[in-house]
Amino acid sequence: MMAGAAQHREPVRYVQIDESLCNGCVLCIKACPTKAIRIREGKARIEGVCIDCCECVRVCPRRAIQAITSESLDLAEKDHIIVSPSTVLYSQFGEDVLPNDVLLGLKRMGFGYIHDQSYTSEIFNLAVELYIKENREKPDAPLPFISPVCPVVVSLIAYRFQSLLKHIPPLITPREIVAREGKMRLAARHGRDAETFKVLHITPCPSKMICMKESILQEHSYLDAAIGINTIYGELKRNIHDVEDDIVLHHSGGIGLSWGMSGGEISGVELNCLAVSGLEETIRYLEKIEIGLLGDIDYVEFRACTEGCLGGPFTVMDKYQGKRNLQKLVRMFGVEKQVKYGYVKKLYDKGWFFTDKKESHEEAITQISAVDIARGIERLKRIEETLKLLPRKECGACGSPDCTTFAEDVTDGKASLESCVFWKDQKRKLNIRP
Amino acid sequence: MLKKYSIKPRDFVKAGEESIRIQKFLKFIGFDAGLIRRISICAYEAEMNVVMHGGDGEMSMLVDPKEIVLEVADDGPGIPDIGLALQEGYSTASPEHREMGFGAGMGLPNIKKNADSLDIHSGNGQGVHLTMCFEVKTR
Repeated sequence: MMAGAAQHREPVRYVQIDESLCNGCVLCIKACPTKAIRIREGKARIEGVCIDCCECVRVCPRRAIQAITSESLDLAEKDHIIVSPSTVLYSQFGEDVLPNDVLLGLKRMGFGYIHDQSYTSEIFNLAVELYIKENREKPDAPLPFISPVCPVVVSLIAYRFQSLLKHIPPLITPREIVAREGKMRLAARHGRDAETFKVLHITPCPSKMICMKESILQEHSYLDAAIGINTIYGELKRNIHDVEDDIVLHHSGGIGLSWGMSGGEISGVELNCLAVSGLEETIRYLEKIEIGLLGDIDYVEFRACTEGCLGGPFTVMDKYQGKRNLQKLVRMFGVEKQVKYGYVKKLYDKGWFFTDKKESHEEAITQISAVDIARGIERLKRIEETLKLLPRKECGACGSPDCTTFAEDVTDGKASLESCVFWKDQKRKLNIRP
Repeated sequence: MLKKYSIKPRDFVKAGEESIRIQKFLKFIGFDAGLIRRISICAYEAEMNVVMHGGDGEMSMLVDPKEIVLEVADDGPGIPDIGLALQEGYSTASPEHREMGFGAGMGLPNIKKNADSLDIHSGNGQGVHLTMCFEVKTR
């Protein structure tokens, strides 16, 4: 009984709506790419599949929709915590603050271990190159390969573009590598269990939370908690001083640092690559790939946020200012790779970069039943019939994002035609008697 | 269930949109992702052929729980030698088409590869009529 109850619980949502602030306008329902939001009784509610893209958070003029992170980690026990910030963090403090200064600031805040991600990102670039070179010549290679890095994009593919799941290489992302290796090295050094050490990720977006809990690409995540850049910003800023310590925590070149911006990841991949950012453009390109286009490209870096992770909802600095800061860092540190190819090749051959997911996300040969298909066709016919009754003003006043979605809701018994504000007029126009 | 889509020749800005519409439509009904992919690849190749070489065209799709039939017809100049057009790499695309990344001579071969059956009716000045069938495998 208990287990069954646990399975049917509501999924944890990292995007939450404060009903006391919501006035039931239509901006969020129209912004949602999965059409997951409806206005019910004058308030916005998430009813469908949320992929944590935060488009609703961005458009809400009353700040009624907020993204949250986990509170599960006891921050008092800082000495067992490995902090691993997104490289976006380096762009948030102005152009004179260097990555090492930021990492030392975290150290001063009392965290036990500070692990930079930018160096690992450069290692990951080489792993991607090795994987693609090994696989692109195979018959029916799923070209272009798609970066596994942005969790919103991965969720979007799993929800709307399932046939593209096989385009995502089964590689573990830099943030997971840092967490895994950090835990293992500390465990070995101190002779303790790896799970004694907890990894806190400082993140520009809440989608990392979903990865920890129910990742699509991995069985198990090595991250334990995440905190938004904006949450930690004030305290961290007070702890960033002029360099007096000579501890070096940052080792990458400019390429690893540029990962926070769109095109940053592929700047380190010497293949035929493409970078696409922003949700709308991402969807447009995924649609193209799904009909067989862009097969001449090896690898596409998709980022759901415009301009890349710099545009994440938890960032403090405006994305274009942040980009300027990162660009300056790239110039300063240079684009020469700090990572040795032979070293990465050895790790690659050992399986260091591969996810623990057992079955690859090959297209499951899903055998749908003829009854399901017949039902689907029937439903579609009814939706189209309903749609003919509607004025196609696409106003959203009924609580559904557009007339088509409203027709779906009516067909599925979730809404009544009476909620269409034009329904009285329509009845008269179409000569429908009650 | 029958759906119809019209294709305008030489309209490279809108080219591909009807195929994406077909793809969305099939997803909505709930067909298997692999099948949808094959159909949308064929729809796209056929649509592009009309846009590049054809005249006014129409794409129609008959959806049934057992089979999907996609027909694409246009009133353009037609294909003089169908056997040649089915060879990989054979292309009559103009340099302009190639500059846009089209015209690799893979259109019809790609359709043949992805459809369960393909029937081509054409000839000099007779337009092109393609009929592609896809079997729906169900439990």
